[in-house]
Order: sequence, then structure tokens, then C-alpha cells
Amino acid sequence: MNEVLSPEQVVDSFKAVLKDGVTDSKIYRREVAVKKNVFTSIWIDLKREAFRRAVEHVCEIQEYPHLAIISSADLGDEVELIYHFTIYYGRHLQEISLGLRVRLPKSDLSIPTITDIIPGALFTERETQEMMGVEVVGIPDGRRLFIPDDFPEGVYPWRKDDTAPTDLLRVLPGRQQE
Amino acid sequence: MTSGATTLRYTIPVGPIHPALKEPIRLDLTVDGEEIVDVDVAVGQVHRGIEWIGTNRNNAIQNIYMAERVCGICNLCHPFAYIMAVEQAAGIDPPARAEYIRVIAAEMERIHSHLLWAGVAAHEIGFDSIFHLVWRVREEIMDLMEFITGNRVTKAMYQIGGVRRDITEEQFPRITQSLEYYKSIFGQLKTVFLDDITVKMRTRNVGILPTEDALKLTAVGPTTRASGVPKDVRQDQPYSAYADMEVKAVTPDMITGVVVGDVYDRIIVRLLEVKQSIEIIQQCLVQMPPGDILAEPKPAKLLNMLKKAEGEGVGRAEAPRGEVIHYVRMQADSDYLATWKIRAPTYPNLMSIPTILMAGQIADVPIAFASIDPCMSCTNRAIVVDRKSHKSFVLTDEELHRLSVEKTRKIEAESHDQ
Amino acid sequence: MGLDSFKRALWVYHLNTGSCNGCDIEILAALTPRYDAERFGIVLVGSPRHADVLLVTGPVTRQMESRLKRVYAQVPEPKMVMVVGSCGTEGGVFHESYNLIGPVDQCIPVDVYVPGCPPRPEAIIEGVVKAWLKLEKAQEPVAA
Repeated sequence: MNEVLSPEQVVDSFKAVLKDGVTDSKIYRREVAVKKNVFTSIWIDLKREAFRRAVEHVCEIQEYPHLAIISSADLGDEVELIYHFTIYYGRHLQEISLGLRVRLPKSDLSIPTITDIIPGALFTERETQEMMGVEVVGIPDGRRLFIPDDFPEGVYPWRKDDTAPTDLLRVLPGRQQE
Repeated sequence: MTSGATTLRYTIPVGPIHPALKEPIRLDLTVDGEEIVDVDVAVGQVHRGIEWIGTNRNNAIQNIYMAERVCGICNLCHPFAYIMAVEQAAGIDPPARAEYIRVIAAEMERIHSHLLWAGVAAHEIGFDSIFHLVWRVREEIMDLMEFITGNRVTKAMYQIGGVRRDITEEQFPRITQSLEYYKSIFGQLKTVFLDDITVKMRTRNVGILPTEDALKLTAVGPTTRASGVPKDVRQDQPYSAYADMEVKAVTPDMITGVVVGDVYDRIIVRLLEVKQSIEIIQQCLVQMPPGDILAEPKPAKLLNMLKKAEGEGVGRAEAPRGEVIHYVRMQADSDYLATWKIRAPTYPNLMSIPTILMAGQIADVPIAFASIDPCMSCTNRAIVVDRKSHKSFVLTDEELHRLSVEKTRKIEAESHDQ
Repeated sequence: MGLDSFKRALWVYHLNTGSCNGCDIEILAALTPRYDAERFGIVLVGSPRHADVLLVTGPVTRQMESRLKRVYAQVPEPKMVMVVGSCGTEGGVFHESYNLIGPVDQCIPVDVYVPGCPPRPEAIIEGVVKAWLKLEKAQEPVAA
């Protein structure tokens, strides 16, 4: 499929391929500046089982989709990952942002890798692994990326629970908090 | 070719050398003679935990100044993307005049960053006099930025909902004067960088990134445009005042007619973008609408509004080095952001380093690595492993630079002999 | 100020311990023809073993701490250490994080501080001149 679909058609195609793998979807539009051109982004919520098929479907809509980053949030009992894609780049005013959202329970924090589909996902998967503690199954190179090797295991900087790095903070002598 | 261990010895260089801006990043190179067969990139020396600071210690307005200090060179693009994300999450709309001022400041920063890079590239090849000349020329745009925003490097110009300082009609002649200066010397810059035989011999067919690899590895910015992929956020998903203009992604076939994807093409793309930025600023000055510059002028009220906001937003901007993206999630009744994710443009470009350096020579490492315009704070050493003798030795950036300069002198001597 | 009384050139080695590059580009701008610190004989060298002054920028990250100490040990006596920028002086905006060891004087002794975020090239040149004067004083023979 290489013709440009409208955002509603994109969402419908996901629902057709994944059926109940899609739990929710949203289209957000915003007008910009003087001429009021419209800027669109699509958010799709997925179940973990449907995730890899969804990424393959993005590749069917756009050859070599652009993966910007994987962002993650600590929601208490769950961790939410959002894969930020963009499709239809290279054409004036045509690009659409696509966010695929997956929620993982903290008791089973793992997600399959997509580096075989999109090689450019390697760094961002490594970062998610070390910073949030999510295990990326099948990652070709699972070393730490930003954190030094002598950093203790089991401490995840982006978490808000007891694995947060509160013991490793170094507050200056003149700035002690009471 | 003899084995690497005997031809490359660690010698102390003679004479003062300018270690130009390089980033603290570690490259592990495996060589076979002079040719590189494997590259490993190790990063993390500049990891300061900004996202942690932003969500645990700072409120949403203080984060603007935190975002500025992610990178001192591409200083305005991080706050730009962050502010767009927060405005989407909180539902604040900046006035149209503020959008134009934001774009003018961002384009001025693009000119300064590309000239900085041009000087560094000239230094890596060995033309130190060009490095000094280009940085002298760059001072003109630094003066202009100081005139408009008040500071040379960290400008604190943007605010959530608008900008903090106005560009008035009295300031227009000064801006136009600087732009005319750059237009007048653009021809000279083109001659120095694009028509020189030695520069061509050092950069043509060096550090090639094929189009398909650029697409698969999701590279961004001039790195990917030089490989023929027309990805430019200002063209594809225009934000702010770019949405009123038609910005076209610059690809090297505009001058040479063919796309190779090497270092020479990246020089072409960046020089043409300087020209494009001058034209964009001139268009903004003509089209700027009158009006307010801030949606909410009182910071205390703004902070209150942000505290009650709930939602998420994604802000994408085109920095001089490529696409920068910030993701923000806000929760009601919390001083701090719930989530903040920053992705600087060098992050995906680093993954294309193995492809760029592979099968090249060690002497080409400085210029090929600098051609993606890394912005993470300095390559300080490269550990080289010779496959034949299994000996490993360290080449500091010193040594690499010296090898690069030697190669240039050799090429120059050969071309004079002909 | 006694600028004509310097007896020899001053060689400076620059080390980046995790800074955002803002101070680094102002240091390089101080050497380019506009501010031209080179006419005083101030020059950046490529190896710490040749240097008189160690110029450090950035809040010290965990990965760079051992390198900072090693480079400090390699600079021969008499030496001066100069810190440029607010993050090296006392933390600046980065005063508390899980990957930062703290300002530079928690790791090595410092002689001259140039605060600012980033400081202007004129301020950096003044800092270097102060380090120079301190160095010359340190080299004077002790009165009998």
C-alpha cells in the first residue's frame, strides 16, 4: 500500500489487521500559525501480543518508517511504552506522527525486539532496557549504553518506585535540604 | 601492507595543535593494515541524568533552562521542541507573532551551528587557517544573536506560550545588515569548500552512507539528506511559523546533480542550508504579524495553569543536526512532570557510524566522524585492535588528527607534482 | 597588570568532563581572531604532559572521574587547574543527579574558577591571565 491514507483510514487498517489487539485509538489535530495548516498525530493502544504484528503493519503502510524514539513511563503497577513512529515523510505537509502504546505489568516486564524489522531501533531499545528495567527479548546487543558499568544492578533511573536511584544522589555540602 | 602494529606507533606530536571540538565518545576500531574492518561505539561519558532531574526536581518552567543546557551549540532547538510538547499537553496556544520570532531565532542558530561545523571540518582536514577565518566570520551572527536575545550562547528566549523578548521594527535594519553580509560572502565560502581540489580529494567517496542504510537506521538531519533521503521536519510536518512557508529539504543533487552520500555531499547540504536560513529569516521579517508575544504574561499564573494541566504532547523540531523530539506527559496537581523523554539528533546518527567508517582508512576517521556533526562532547580516544597481530594500542585524538593532516599534505604534494 | 612581564608562553590542555559544550565553544572562540588569546602566547596543546594549565569544563560524570584524576597526575609541576563554567564550579543547574560526582574541586584541587553559564570569552581570558600570574608567582625562587 503506497498511496497516502487519511488518518482515519490508517486507524481502520490497524483495526482490520489486528482485530482486538487494538484496545483504543485517538486522532489529535492542531492548527498552526497564521495560515492554520493542520498538524495530525495518531495514538493507538495495543496489547503486547499484537505488538510485533503492528510494527510489521506500519512497514506495510510506509516502506522504512521513521522510528523516532521509545518513551516509557512508570505508572505504579504498570510500565507504559510508547513507540513514536512517523510515516509519509519527504512530502510537504504530509507527515503524520504515529504513537504505538503498550502497557506492561511490572510482574512481567518484557517485550519482543524489533531490530530485525527496523535496525535503527537498537540504541533506543538498549536505553529502555537499562533505564526502565524492561527486558527486550531477542535484542542482538544488550550492553549498557549510557550508564557506567560499575553502576549497581537493579537500580533503574526512570522508575519512581523503590528501584529509583535515590541512594546514589550526591548533594553538595552547601545545598543540604532540611 | 605491513601489519598495523609496526606502521602506527604512539609518538609525541611536535608543535601546538588545536584540538577542535570533538565529543567524549569512545570508538573501538578493529583494523587490518590501514583498513578498518569493525567499529564499536561506546557512549555515556556525558550522561548527566537530565530526564531524572526534570521529573523529580524542577517544575515545568525551570525545565526550559534545563533543556537549553542539553547542548550548548544547538541551544534553541531543545527548548523549542520541549515547549511545543508542553503546549500540546496543556492546551496553550502561542500568538502568531511569537511563532515568527521563534523561527527567526532558530534559523539564526542554524547559521551559527553550520559555520561552526565548517570550521571544525576544515581543521580536521588540516586547513587551520580556514578554521580561523570561518570562526571569525561566525562572530557576525553571534553579535546579531546578542543584539536580539541578550546573550551569545544560552539565550533563554523562549517561554511556554510565547517568547520573552520582542523583535521590534527598529531592530530590523540591523538584522538585514548582517544577512546582507552573509549573502555577500556566501560565494567565497562556496569556493573555499566546494571548489578546492584538495578538499574534494579528501572528502569525495569518503565515509559513504548508502541511501538504504540511511533509511533502515533512521538517520536524521543533513546526514540523511546528503544520502538522498528528503527528511526534514520543516518540510514534512511544519511546526510554528514554518507552516506558513514552503521549506524544501536540501539534497546535494541541487548542485552536483547526483547523490553519493559521502562527506563532500554533507558539506554541500550544510552550506546550502545556510543560504536557505538567510532566505527564511528575510521572509519572516516581511511576513511578521503584529500582536502579543506571550499567551500568559505572568509567570505565577502560568505556573498555576501548568500545575492543573493534564495530558501528553510530542514536540518535534528540526535542529541543525536533525530531528529532535521531546515527549512530555503532565499530571494534574503535581509540580513536576510525570514523564519527559528527550532524544537529541545525534542519537540515531551514531548508529550509522559503523557503516560510514567501515572499509575506510584510519586517517579518514576524524573527518568522517566529524561529518555527522556529533554533539555529545568529544571523542577522546580510539582503541585500535590489529587483527593480524592481535595487538591493541591506543590512538588519542591527537594521533588521529595528525594522521589526517599528513594525508592531506601528501595529496597536496602529489597534485602539485602533476 | 603586568602583561609584558610574562617570561614564556602558556600551554593549556583542555578536558571536557561531561559539559554541554557551551563553555567549550567559548574557549575556542577566545582563540579565534576576534578575541585572539594566542597573541599573548596562550595555546591549546594536545597532550597533558606538555601543559602548564589544565582547563576543565563540565560537571564530573561517573565515567570521567578516573580520567580526570589520571590527566591531573600527568600534568607536570608547577601546574595550575582552571575550571570554566558554573557546573564545574559548584554544580550550576546540574547540582544533584545520580550520575554526577560533583563539582571539580571534589576530585582535584582547583586554583582559578571562572563562573558563568557559559562565561564570555573575555572572562575566560581574564581567568587564564590570573592563572598565569599565580603560576609565575609559584615559580619564583623562594627568598633565602
